[in-house]
Amino acid sequence: MGAETASLTSLLPRRHDEDVVPDGARLPVLPALRGLLPGGLQCGTVVAVGHWGLLCLAVAAGASAAGAWCAAVGLPQLGVAAAAAAGLDPGRLLLIPDPGAGWPQVVASLIDGCELVLLRPPGQPSAQVRTRLAATLRRRGGVLVVAGGWDGAQARLLVVRQEWAGIGTGHGRLRARRVQVTVDGRGAAARLRTEWLWLPGPDGSVGAVDQITASGQDMRDTG
Amino acid sequence: MTAAGDLPERVLVVRCPGWPAVGREPETVGGEAAPGSGEVRDTGPQAPEFGQVVSVVEGFCPRVEVLHPGACAIGARGPARYFGGEGALAAKIIEAVASGGFACQVGIADGLFAAFLAAEHAQRPRDTRRAQPGAVMRVPPGRTRAFLAPLPVSVLDSPDLTDLLPRLGIRTLGEFASLPAAEVANRFGTPGVVAHRLARGLGRRPLAPRPPSADLSVGQEFDPPVRLAEPVVFAAKALAERMHNGLAASGLACVRVQVQVVCGNGQEITRLWRHDGLLSALAVAERVRWQLASCQAPQAAPTADGNQTAVQIPVPMGAGERTTDDYPGGITMLSLIPDQLVRDHGQQLGLWGDAVVSDRVARAAVRVQAMLGHGAVTRPVPAGGRSPAEQVTLVPLGDTNDRVPSPGGAGNSDRTSGAGNPGRTGRTAGAGGPGRTGRTGGAAGQGRTGGAAGQGRPGRTGGAAGQGRPGRTGDPGRPGGMGDPDRAARPWPGRIPAPFPATVYPAPLPARIADESGVTVAVSGRGLVSAPPARMSADGAPWLAVTAWTGPWPVTERWWHPRTARRRARFQLVTEDGAAWLVAVQDGGWLIEARYD
Repeated sequence: MGAETASLTSLLPRRHDEDVVPDGARLPVLPALRGLLPGGLQCGTVVAVGHWGLLCLAVAAGASAAGAWCAAVGLPQLGVAAAAAAGLDPGRLLLIPDPGAGWPQVVASLIDGCELVLLRPPGQPSAQVRTRLAATLRRRGGVLVVAGGWDGAQARLLVVRQEWAGIGTGHGRLRARRVQVTVDGRGAAARLRTEWLWLPGPDGSVGAVDQITASGQDMRDTG
Repeated sequence: MTAAGDLPERVLVVRCPGWPAVGREPETVGGEAAPGSGEVRDTGPQAPEFGQVVSVVEGFCPRVEVLHPGACAIGARGPARYFGGEGALAAKIIEAVASGGFACQVGIADGLFAAFLAAEHAQRPRDTRRAQPGAVMRVPPGRTRAFLAPLPVSVLDSPDLTDLLPRLGIRTLGEFASLPAAEVANRFGTPGVVAHRLARGLGRRPLAPRPPSADLSVGQEFDPPVRLAEPVVFAAKALAERMHNGLAASGLACVRVQVQVVCGNGQEITRLWRHDGLLSALAVAERVRWQLASCQAPQAAPTADGNQTAVQIPVPMGAGERTTDDYPGGITMLSLIPDQLVRDHGQQLGLWGDAVVSDRVARAAVRVQAMLGHGAVTRPVPAGGRSPAEQVTLVPLGDTNDRVPSPGGAGNSDRTSGAGNPGRTGRTAGAGGPGRTGRTGGAAGQGRTGGAAGQGRPGRTGGAAGQGRPGRTGDPGRPGGMGDPDRAARPWPGRIPAPFPATVYPAPLPARIADESGVTVAVSGRGLVSAPPARMSADGAPWLAVTAWTGPWPVTERWWHPRTARRRARFQLVTEDGAAWLVAVQDGGWLIEARYD
């Protein structure tokens, strides 16, 4: 029955109070990130992104575009325009810029309602907090995308190299950024993966970098 | 009036002929009554004396409606049953009135209009029998239309129609009644419809929804009294849900909802809020919050500058005299009373813009709001502006329709129509001044250093043709239009082009930017850079070498408004760690507006 249920489950898991989300449920990711996160974001898990940045928004964008609600906690600096350009639907975005000291409770409440919660923890979360949130996540089937470190994350993404295109010394402007992203984690994601991405691309969206382009040319000419 | 329903109830009209008919057209009543009953008429009773007749009639039925001196009406159904039939009732009334020395005529029919006419016509058949003190005309139930049909249209209480209809060849009520109702409504409007219904022996207006038999108001007592708004608002949401459920169970919606807050010292704060069956429980709770806020802070206005006060809830009249800082004695009770009930036609609109907040999300958000306060959970709304921070306004979840209402639109309450919502944390609150007209790129040509190609300068691509010409762009005439999605779609010459920064600092960070020799880089009034920036230090952080840069992009905003005017020159920088920044120099100091990361 498990396999059948999983195959019948739509991309967005159905939510009922007593439901335990089947293992197979996943939130979709942007096409450009499918190489890094094959199959999407596994529901009920934590995805850690090394630092706050467009990558966090890109990870959330696929699910949001597919109709998921997204909450951003502790991110007063979130650039909504950038998020929208990356594919995140601002109409389904809740912002809780200042969750205060009780942020774990805030996050737990939001996991009840939103499929995806973006979090920048105000402080280093204790093991107890992490365990409790992990339990809430498993029960509700949400995905927590953390900007920063998080022990026990299902996947850990990191921007290791970046290069801006289109800007010179005193001329041009920022047009696109090529980044090298690595991902490692547990289970199926244990193997370290690396990819080059346009983050953002010239139109603000996230795209995969052509291997040929990635291999050498001077980025400054591409702008 | 008694004739309310589609099938009017039986009405008995007692009419003393010859009484000075006040308040009704003389030709309608007096004209036909004139030839009437001799001796009584001669004694000409005066208006106050009619009270005697009324008190006699009251002996039969306590609820007497005096139509005008000389005529009064009672509902016939109850008394008729008691006194053994309508005919017997009429005879008894006539007898009783005659014993007081007055002659009268009695008409009984469906509805007041027909009954009155019946009373008028009652005298005719008995005209010759002078000894008879009164006369009765009884129109059997359901025969009203037939009774009215031969009467002239002049009996209608509408000068326009009684003048117009005969000229159209419609002389009797029967002819008028045979016209299709829809055509009558088209041609004669509301008065025509009313007259048409009367002519057909119906009530004045279609059946109104019955008044609620059950008490649909909900309330909660707080013991001990609450001093904070938050628990009350939280309770209000549950109450509103209960009220909505009660209304929905009866298939009703309320036009307005009355929010009643009782304080510990007995003071009552009551206000009506427009509802129209459209508000969610969350939104009703918000109204409660506003009501509490408005009575809590009566002298709120003097705080911030003009832009800030624009989003504060206007203090309602009458709240001014309440000068307490706190709710006196705490709040002991909150009740929500649905007002003006109407049939619910199911107009459940999505009030949340394109994406409707599902119950599940709303529940989670309200729980967070209960923890952190109303303004803590926000949704982004596009707004107009040049810098990334200005392009989005954050609106607390649950405010009217999340899209910020423009002042004067979307009335919330009868007093505070179009109230700005309190507690809105606008990122662009300071930028909502009267139309941002820009002088972008006023010096774009000169600002170039090093003879670079200057490809893709935003000042150019943005179509900033109106260099130095204020009033070309923007809309100076619209104050306080912050958060207006329309504004976001307008051209904002000089706006920072895509791609957009992922980090937009709510308050710009101070920075230091120096050239090769360590001197702070400056930009002249004409947009000339003193030297190429070489190093940057963000908010006290260590120096980073600048590997690429572009700018300046000068912009002069709101120069007509001394408080909010600003001149900035923006740069984009890339530092050695690969990070890209949006920085600006203003009044000689450097600020970091955003970070591309």
